[in-house]
Order: sequence, then C-alpha cells, then structure tokens
Amino acid sequence: MLLHIDGGSIMSSIRKNEQKAITITIDGKSCSGVFGQTILQIARENGIYIPTMCYLTKVLPIASCRMCVVDVEGVDGLILSCQERAVDGAVVTTQNAELYKERQNIMKLYNVNHPLECGVCDQSGECDLQNKTMEFGLEGQNFTAKEPSRPVQNWGFVSYDPALCIMCEKCVRVSTEITGDEALKVKFGGYSSTIENVKQDKNFATLGEAASVCPVGALVDTSFKYSANAWELTKVPSSCPHCGGGHDVTYETKNGKVYRVSNEAEFSTMCSASRYGFDFVNEGVTKDKEAFNKAIEAFSSAKSIIFSKEISNEEALILQKLKELKGYKLISNEARAYQKFMSAYSSISGKALYSGTEDTLSKSRAIIVLGTRINDDAPTIKYSINKASKHHRARVCYMHPIEDNNIQNIVTQFIKYDAMSEEGVVALLAYTLLKDKELPSEVRAILDDLDIGNLSAESNIGEEELETLRKSLIKKVGYSLVVGADLYSHPRAENIAKMVALIEKYAGFNVICVPPAGNGMGISLICDLDDTVEGATIGYNVKGDFTLSAFGGGDLDMPSLIQQEGTLTSIGKRVVPINVALNYGGYVLNNIANALGLNSQYTIDYTKQLPIEKGFKAIEFDFLPNSFDITGKENRGYLLSEIEVSQDGTIEEPVEVEGIDGAVVYNCNPQEHFSPFTAKSKILPNNPYLLGSKQFSTASKLNDGDSVKFVIDNIEFTRVFKIDTSLKGTIALNPTYDMGLSTALLSSYRFSRLEKIGS
Amino acid sequence: MGLEKFKDRNVGTQNYIKLDLTHPPKDGWSKFKQVLSRAVQPELFVGLWVTLREMNNALFRGKMHTTQYPLEKLPISPRYRAIHDMLRLLESGHYRCIGCGLCEKICISNCISMDTRYDENQRKEVSEYTINFGRCIFCGYCAEVCPELAIVHGGRYENASEQRASFSLFEDMLTPIDNLNLQQEYQGFGAISPNADDNIKKTPLAY
Repeated sequence: MLLHIDGGSIMSSIRKNEQKAITITIDGKSCSGVFGQTILQIARENGIYIPTMCYLTKVLPIASCRMCVVDVEGVDGLILSCQERAVDGAVVTTQNAELYKERQNIMKLYNVNHPLECGVCDQSGECDLQNKTMEFGLEGQNFTAKEPSRPVQNWGFVSYDPALCIMCEKCVRVSTEITGDEALKVKFGGYSSTIENVKQDKNFATLGEAASVCPVGALVDTSFKYSANAWELTKVPSSCPHCGGGHDVTYETKNGKVYRVSNEAEFSTMCSASRYGFDFVNEGVTKDKEAFNKAIEAFSSAKSIIFSKEISNEEALILQKLKELKGYKLISNEARAYQKFMSAYSSISGKALYSGTEDTLSKSRAIIVLGTRINDDAPTIKYSINKASKHHRARVCYMHPIEDNNIQNIVTQFIKYDAMSEEGVVALLAYTLLKDKELPSEVRAILDDLDIGNLSAESNIGEEELETLRKSLIKKVGYSLVVGADLYSHPRAENIAKMVALIEKYAGFNVICVPPAGNGMGISLICDLDDTVEGATIGYNVKGDFTLSAFGGGDLDMPSLIQQEGTLTSIGKRVVPINVALNYGGYVLNNIANALGLNSQYTIDYTKQLPIEKGFKAIEFDFLPNSFDITGKENRGYLLSEIEVSQDGTIEEPVEVEGIDGAVVYNCNPQEHFSPFTAKSKILPNNPYLLGSKQFSTASKLNDGDSVKFVIDNIEFTRVFKIDTSLKGTIALNPTYDMGLSTALLSSYRFSRLEKIGS
Repeated sequence: MGLEKFKDRNVGTQNYIKLDLTHPPKDGWSKFKQVLSRAVQPELFVGLWVTLREMNNALFRGKMHTTQYPLEKLPISPRYRAIHDMLRLLESGHYRCIGCGLCEKICISNCISMDTRYDENQRKEVSEYTINFGRCIFCGYCAEVCPELAIVHGGRYENASEQRASFSLFEDMLTPIDNLNLQQEYQGFGAISPNADDNIKKTPLAY
C-alpha cells in the first residue's frame, strides 16, 4: 500500500509517475496531492496538523523523532508520515487516543533530564520542546537517567550545549545537505549521543545556519547567546542586502540595536554575511543642512555619478531619472559589466534574463560551474548546488583556474584552465555540449570552425577532460550551468555571453549568470549605465569629488540598506522588499532628487515606477508580500516577468589572448564578506590577507607574514601575505571588501599580475 | 432681554426662621466680660494637667511616646514595598539573579532595564541592571514574578538623595557581600509584621 523511499527501481517508478494526481483521505477529509509526496506534505498542504519535532522541510526526512506517526487503514503498526509517500486512496488517521499516547511517551523521553533552565535559555519562548510539552500536557518527569558530564562547547560562531540537545539531527542535515560544510556529525552512544563538530579548526560561519534550525537552545549563535530573550525583540522582515541572493532575513532589534538576524529557517537559508554582518548601520546621523546644500551644489556642477552596487532598486531609479533630467553619466563598474554581458547573452537566447532558478539548480542532476569561485561569490547558489549533490547525487563539474578546497566534497570533476582563456573555455564547452545536438546550420558552422586543438592548448584543458565531462552527462536529466563574475569582466565578455547563451538555447541547460553581489542585477536592469567618467563626479558609496556614503567617511551621509525601505533584485529573478530596522535621521537620496527637480514624497513611491519593459511590475511597495506559505512556497515580492528580446546576436570566433603568467592575484572576497558593509561587522572575522600557496610564495618572493603593496585599477592595496596550504598554483586570493570607498572602483578582469610597488 | 432678570435673586417666597439669639455685647465692658467668661473655665486646667503629667512621665519617668526619628525607627511591615533589594545566594555569595528578564517584561511602568551577556564561564551574566525610580510605582510585580527570589522589595523607604542614581544600579541594591549574614529572606506578600503579636488588641466590644 505504501512505498518506502529507498531503492533504485522504486525511485525510477516514482519518476515515471511524477505529477500524477492522487487523492488520499486524512481524518475524513479528502485531500489531493501529487504522486511522490509524503503523507505529511499532503496533510500540511491541506491544512491538517501533524505534530513533528525533527521534520525540516528543506532537507530530506530525518525520521528521528517519530512524533509524526499516523495510522493508515490496512497497515499494521504506526507509519511515519514524514517519510512515507502517499499512495492513491490511502485512508489516514492523524489523531486518536493511541497516537496521542505514543506522542506523549515520546515527549516524556525528550524531557528526561532536560535542564530546567528555561529562564535563561535563549530558545525560551520559541522552543519546540516547550510548545510540545505543553501540547501533550506533561507536568512532570516520569523517568530519569544517569546524567553524563556534558560541558558546554564554544565552537566559535555557535556554541553547543549537549545537555539541552534533543538529538533531532536537524543541524547535522543542514550542515550536510544545505550549507555543505559537513562540520557537524552525530556521535552515537545511546543516551549520551551528542552532536560533534569535526571541523572545529575551520570555524565555519555557515554553522549559523545549523543553529537557526535548532528547535531547542542547544545550538545558538555565540554572539547572541544570553544577550536577549526571544520575546523582547522586535522582528523586522527584510531581505539580504549583501550576497545578491535576496533571501529572507528578519532583523531582531531592541533599543535601537540589532541583536541577531533570523530567517524562515524551515524553508530558506541565509548567507553568513547576512547572518552575522548586520551591524553596518550608519549611526547618529542628523540632518546636516550645510552638507546637504553642498551636495545640491555638487550635483548641479557634476557630470558623472559613480555608485556602488549596494543601493536599492528605487535609488537606482532615482539616479536613472536624474540622468534623464540632468544628463549625468552613470558609472557602476560591476553592474555595467553584467549589463553588457546580459545584453549580449539575450541577443542569442532571446530572453532578457537567464533561464535558471535556484530551485531548478537544486533539482539538477548535472551542474557545471564556470568562471566563478562559487563558494565565495554566491554562497546561496553553492547551497543549491550542494543540495543537488546531496539530494540527487548530481555530478558537479567545477571549472576554474584555482581549485577550491571548500567545495571538494561536492565537486566530481575539477577542470582547471588558465586565467584569461575563458573565451576558449566557453567555446570548448559549447563545442562539447552541442556536439550531438540539432543546431541551425550557421551555429553548427561556427562550432565546426573552432580550432579545438589550439583552444585546448591555450586554455590548458585536455580534450579527454571534456570527453569525460560529456560522457558523464549522457545519462543524466536536468542540467544546470552557473557562470560568474570572471566572465563579466573579461575583455571578450560579450562573445563569451553569446556562447553561454548557445548552451542554454540548444543544450537544454538551465543557466544562471550569477549577478554581482549587492543589487547588481537591479542596477543593471534599471540604470542606463555608461562606461567612462566625465567631468566632476558624485560618488555614492564610492570616492568621488563629492561623496555620499552610507558607511561614513563621505561628505554627506546616506542611510544604509538596513535603514531604508525599498526593493532589491535577487539571483532568483525576484524583486524583494527591504524594510527599516533601525532609524535614520539624516537626508536620503530622494531629498536630493526632490531638490534637483524630481517630485516624490517617499523613496518607495518609485517602487511602482520601476521599468515594466525590463520585467518589473507596477506594484506599490506596501503591497509587496514577504512570507512563505506552509508548504514552503516563497511568496516574497514578485518574480520579474520574462521579457522577449530580438535574437540578433552573431557569434565571433574566439580571439587569441595573452595569458597572465608569473605571480597572479585574483580579486576574491572570503565567503563571509561582500562589501565595505560586511567589513563593518564585529562578528565576522576581518582579516584581509593576501592568501596564496607555497608556490605563489616562491613565484612572488613573498614570505608568510610579509607586507606587500600593489596596485590594481589605480587602487593601492597594502596586504599582509599569508600562506594558505589548501591552495595550489601561483594565483593568490586578494580580498577587496575592506577597501571602503574604493572597493566599487575596481573594474578590470579579476585576475591580474602582481605588480609590487615600493617595498 | 437683559441679564437683570437673572441677577435678581429675590425670587419666590423665603421662609427663613430667625433664631432668638442673645444680642452681641455692645459696649467695651460687656465685651470684656464675655471673653473672660468664655476663656477661663475649669476644663482648661484639666487639659493642662494631662500635658503636665505626660511631660513629667516623658522627661523624668522614661515614658516617651514619640519616636526619635531619624535616631530611632519603627519596625515596618514586611509587606511594605520600598526600594528593591537584590539578594545573594547564601552558600556562594553569588547574586541570585539569573537574567531571565521576567521583571523587565512584567514591569508596568517600564522602569526596569537590563542587559545580559555570555560570560567567560559560559553562563548568563547580568551586565547592566537599572531601575528608574522616577518611574517606579512600587507595585511589586517584579518581586512577584522573580523565579529566583532575587529581586525583592526592601524596607528602605528613605528616598531622599543627592542623586536618583544612588538607588538605581544593581550594585546599590545588591546585598553587600560582607553583610551577607545579615541578609533577610523575603517573607512574601502575605507576611505579617515581626511585632504582630504585640499589635494584637482586644476588640472594642470586649472592653
């Protein structure tokens, strides 16, 4: 009558029956679902409550608590509704005296020796154990056990109290299936089982995601621990301003200070930057009339506005409107590169945006990652890849000049290519993936014209490596390709974009072109950006002749993204709202715009004016939803509509480029950092070292601990060099997040030769 | 119509009854006689005698009835709700407060504010604790809700100080560590005063 999820043949039969509608009866109510769904999923979709302790929607059923037991007619014994797939016509009972007794007994066992420290426990007030203990009417502890010594452990970002732990294993699953750090493991031992951190030396910030799903107070953020009670905090829903993922965040504030950031952890996962990088508020700003007048003056004499990508869609629209009004040049380097890349991309694909989503990515069976250090550039995309790897045993091919040890556990094939040879790599990839596909003759002609041997030699990719890749993809269904920032800043970015688009169009790949962190995608859609600066400049979060800054140090203060209302555009092609978590007393960009001739009372009046021709919708800010439904369906903001564009792009032949040899630096922030805003965090480690291998140390004649000065794009970096033994080759990682008002001025290709200056 | 009609109070018929009082004295001599007859009565000396007797008792026989405040203070009821006391554990001397925040939450005049932190011993430590006595209405909810009997109302009713801050810090309210042996356990809201027995009197009917 019921199928268990294990077993290959069963899996294939499930796949065949997918999308087939079924009807089951739960507690006398006829409920419809889809074949392959579990009883619990169908019950929740139909608003029927089944108590659970260990069930976490975003991971596979854990089945450690047995609270979700139900009775199924004709089946002996109790059934775990979280992992049993429903079959058509099943009759399920979720509440009766026997089930109540069973669940009550489970709760009795959970309460054995559970410390009565609710008064100080951080989870108190939002604790599943408290709730269920009340629900099942337990007034005392009926059993006891000899309590082993279980000291509290401080693991850096999180601390673990084994005495409070109920061994639901949610944290272990998140660490394995979602964030992929694989740091947490279960140490089995009957009553004295605990969770252990097997990678304590690494101090992963992603453990915060594991802590966020803890139903009790066993695993909590060290930074938050014992600092406030759950019920004292005011919750302000918003979206991540850092990584570009735009995932949901909730700022929890008290007395004008953010105490922690939480999220809808049942369904979504945050990047570590938004979990711990929340203290970027621009504090103590008042209305400085004099500075404001100077700003107006500066705006009237300026010819260009340079801005960083950490601004909202509305602010971007204000800048665009100012451009239309006053003829400013708008400069935002990374967003501009992305804009050009996407416009070339859509000239082949015919759609304004890429086709992939995080959801299709996490369900892919084969994934190629190209031109991005994905674990650092877009952690939430890496979570999706990890999910695909763990849930669907996806093949992950990682193509990059530098191997990344942090994703070794999910990468099945690493293809190393030489920096600067991306165009050749994409050409080779297109050639390989489109080899046996039906193609229009002109596309086929371009691919046939490629000098594969030459490209292979130039990029240093062996033909047999590509052959292995092609073969490994043959039997799979559902492919994804993730491309990133290395390609956008490449001198041949546009031709690369067109070839990536070929792969989307003809090889059936879901492509995700990871937008620059912050609101890079929003800016690239809204603003008509320019390439070169002209005349006097206004800088917004960037050093200009007159500087507006949300992180201090400028001529006029601006609110940070935690202090303003507006929307951001996310990797998931979604327009998501941000809200005011902390007050701001100064002037905002809208005040300047009004003084310059625009007319709008609030910044959010621009929300409904966002360009419809780019996919935005004319919806008022106040009507943007920000929630998930019970089944985990995201109902936040709105999805950008799909816009058709003309397919008039022509693909050129790859051009031979000069490789970069010797000691090379690669501009890449660590996973927890994205911008000067995250650099302000007191919780995240702030060690902007130049990290390189021993080999790099030899090539650059730098020793561990040496200070080195070098220049990229006229920005002078002074870095301490550290040897990272996990790295190989002669490419070092150079963080850029801490460069304050200079960070957003970087515009060139991410790899560059190390040009030391001074000593 | 003018206001005259409203101002006219001689409306209706008045039925005042005039009392038949003696006429006030007219000349100086009869006025003097009246004063003298009213002032000099034997009862004056009865009253003066009581005063003299009690003065004699107080000064010479040691039967003083007034409390010599501030040298002398009366015992107050344990139910009296004055400035709060923060109690310590008798065994370890550590303060009892666990930082649960219930007093802060329950306070109806919003005058308690506290901050806690994760300390080096991996315990919850109260890092800041103040009560704004300008707002406190001494309702006693904080003491009632405290699960550890850590915050209680003390008997310190002398609220005059150069600064209000003299009362409001955790350390000021906390039992001094060297006076730990003198720390009084809070008797609770229904407690009777320590001299309750002495205060028992016969009911008036029994006289």
